[in-house]
Amino acid sequence: MEEKRSTLGQVIDCLALYNAAVVGMRPEDNIGLANVLQLLDGCFSEAYRAKEEGRPLAWINFGIPSEIFWAMDIVPVVVDVLAGLVAPTLLGSIAMRYIDIAQEHVPEYICGNNKVLMGAILSGEISAPDVFVHPANPCDSNLATYSVIAEHSNFPYFCVDMPYFKNERGIQYVANELKRLITFLEEKTNRKLDFDRLRQAMEYSNLAHEYFLKTAALREAVPCPYSSIDVWAEYPALLCMAGRPELVDYFKKRYEMTKEKVDKGEGGLTTGKEKFRVVWIYGAPAFDILLFLWLENEYGAVAVGNMNSNFVMKPVEDISDYDKIMMGLAKKTMLMPMTRECGGPWEDWLNPTIDLLRRYKADLAVFGGNTACKATWAIIKMVKDKIHDELGIPTLILEMDLFDPRIASSDSIKEQFAKFFETVLQR
Amino acid sequence: MSTLEELTALSRNPVNPAVNEWKAEGKKVVGFLCTYMPEEILYAADILPVRLRAPDCRETPLADVHMSHLTCTFMRSCLQFFLEDKFTFLDGLVFTNSCDVVRRLYDNLREIRPSDFQFLHFITVPHKVSEDLVIWYKDELNEFAGSIEKAFRVEVTEARLREAIGVYNETRGLLRELYELRKSESPPISGAETLSVVLAGSPLPKDRYNQMLRKLLDELRQREGISNYRARLMIAGSGGCDNPDYLGVMEELGGLVVTDSLCFGSRYFWEPVDTEGDLMLNLARSYLKRPSCPRMVENVGERGDFVKQMVRDFKVDGVVFQRIRYCDLWGGQLLYTKKDLKESGIPLLSLEREYMMRDVGQLRTRVQAFLEKIER
Repeated sequence: MEEKRSTLGQVIDCLALYNAAVVGMRPEDNIGLANVLQLLDGCFSEAYRAKEEGRPLAWINFGIPSEIFWAMDIVPVVVDVLAGLVAPTLLGSIAMRYIDIAQEHVPEYICGNNKVLMGAILSGEISAPDVFVHPANPCDSNLATYSVIAEHSNFPYFCVDMPYFKNERGIQYVANELKRLITFLEEKTNRKLDFDRLRQAMEYSNLAHEYFLKTAALREAVPCPYSSIDVWAEYPALLCMAGRPELVDYFKKRYEMTKEKVDKGEGGLTTGKEKFRVVWIYGAPAFDILLFLWLENEYGAVAVGNMNSNFVMKPVEDISDYDKIMMGLAKKTMLMPMTRECGGPWEDWLNPTIDLLRRYKADLAVFGGNTACKATWAIIKMVKDKIHDELGIPTLILEMDLFDPRIASSDSIKEQFAKFFETVLQR
Repeated sequence: MSTLEELTALSRNPVNPAVNEWKAEGKKVVGFLCTYMPEEILYAADILPVRLRAPDCRETPLADVHMSHLTCTFMRSCLQFFLEDKFTFLDGLVFTNSCDVVRRLYDNLREIRPSDFQFLHFITVPHKVSEDLVIWYKDELNEFAGSIEKAFRVEVTEARLREAIGVYNETRGLLRELYELRKSESPPISGAETLSVVLAGSPLPKDRYNQMLRKLLDELRQREGISNYRARLMIAGSGGCDNPDYLGVMEELGGLVVTDSLCFGSRYFWEPVDTEGDLMLNLARSYLKRPSCPRMVENVGERGDFVKQMVRDFKVDGVVFQRIRYCDLWGGQLLYTKKDLKESGIPLLSLEREYMMRDVGQLRTRVQAFLEKIER
């Protein structure tokens, strides 16, 4: 009987397929994606080999600073990136199978992202981590399912709690939580945090972040020097690789390439012309990244920005001592895209969104509304109205599951775009 | 009218005569939504705390404009009541980060009705229990008390707080006595009636409620017990389970609800607050350590243990685990509950529902089938 491929093995297969399928279609437009896939392949391959190399393996949820883990030589697997990589229907959607398994145990309205991990565990295809760490934000689905999964499957977990307000007292709260996390990691993995290694990881992280911010500023140019897919592609790399030198190399190269393009007045599209500048103010279908190519080809609609790439927080400015690093990482953690938008007052979504739309000179906003994200659906009307009032631009509201095309298929999403362009945006 | 009838009538209306009498004295009323908010602090300031709900809300057309259909119907019903001006008796509101949609109700109200409330406050409740976080929560409560003092020009003194905790502890003790009666083979009160009794207490000043509870307990001790039931049930799960008729459907079919793990039930009052030492710290500790809702992340096993203890103590034949559609917190808990109860050999009926009484036929069918499986 053929041995079942492990989940991490399947992720690595998906990365190879992605490279062949997406990058292969328009390699010149997807330089960023090609490089990011390489970075992710390196990262997941390390995770795949971790056990046999005797290195502890951690599952972490986005928002948890991977710098700490790399500094402690614990290999982090960002579970949200894992879910995103196995979601595309183009690659056979392993995610849907896991979601089905999970739904035998929990309601369908739990987030697809959480259900993918739950299904992977219940299928027996993913081996237990040494530790599982998640933040209390951004949503109840995370909060409820991850602690339950850990308890159900009996592996050690730690929740980095977060208060409602992102003020100095709140940042101190999270900094203390991160210190407790490090104690927990030391206990569970027998790895000691070495301060020099942490500072080194922070130096890499800061440098990469600085290049990212400079590149993000260049992306404001008209035409946008990035393709839609490249704008999206960098988010998983930022989550997985913060604290690694490879990320610095990538962003340095990207900055130089982007600057050259902007100086020449070139756009990111090698075919077609940028006609509409789209900003995705929340999610987008992880199950069909090719939707971006379709939008570019059909309407000249380039996704110039999105919530996830809106890493507008500053790098950790002072890395001279442990406490200051913890405060800096706490701030970064609280301002992590999506954690920032969903985990506090609604202004924490509205204000960065207005700023994003304005900076990127958006013609339209798209709300890729994950049905499970109740925290956004309960205020989207207010956000949409404010966008219109302040910027005079329309918002397309799409109801979908980011990981599962059975809620809204690619075709139905395209249909909604088509109607939107016909009726609202024709010019 | 018996005390039980009196309390049942009070439970049916969010604005009962007691609130009106309180207001007529020129005193203030502050609303809240979640039991992680220590009422004692308001009571100590001579402010009536009223837990908000939307009994008999049948549809939510006004709320649906603001909150999508993917928002749980409990919160949409509460927003509907705000927009229908059914909560105009409130002088203020206090919110907690209980769940995503409670937080978003706070956001919506700030935007839609910015000038409706003299007082609006938000308390961060930690999601975990540790001594550091208990102290942090205590600071939140102190800040809350300070903001009440400022807004209403009142004083929350140590003596008043001690008195308030004493009164609330008495309520807790009396409700525990009520639950004790339900352990009997022939309990003198049904589950639907008990829920009414607990609900009636929310908008009543607790000293007055305590008097009624004492009278009720005397009356119940004389009352003939219920013995013609098919099975003893426990109801657990989501907030928003505040409709006695929902339990009534199960009881019409021969199930007798003898206990619960609900925030409108036992979890609200199960543990007393220590009255010695630092009172605000005691409140913080007690509220964080009480039998928990799944918003508390590290208590998954404890929640299961609480249910199993209840099953043993109240000789429960089966657990009805209900949750309101789109409640992620209780939806996620289901994975553990199913496994935990199965391993303990406790029958489980898992039900999804809306806040309003809908699909009664389906509910009857599911409960009927469950009773046939577990009846004595």
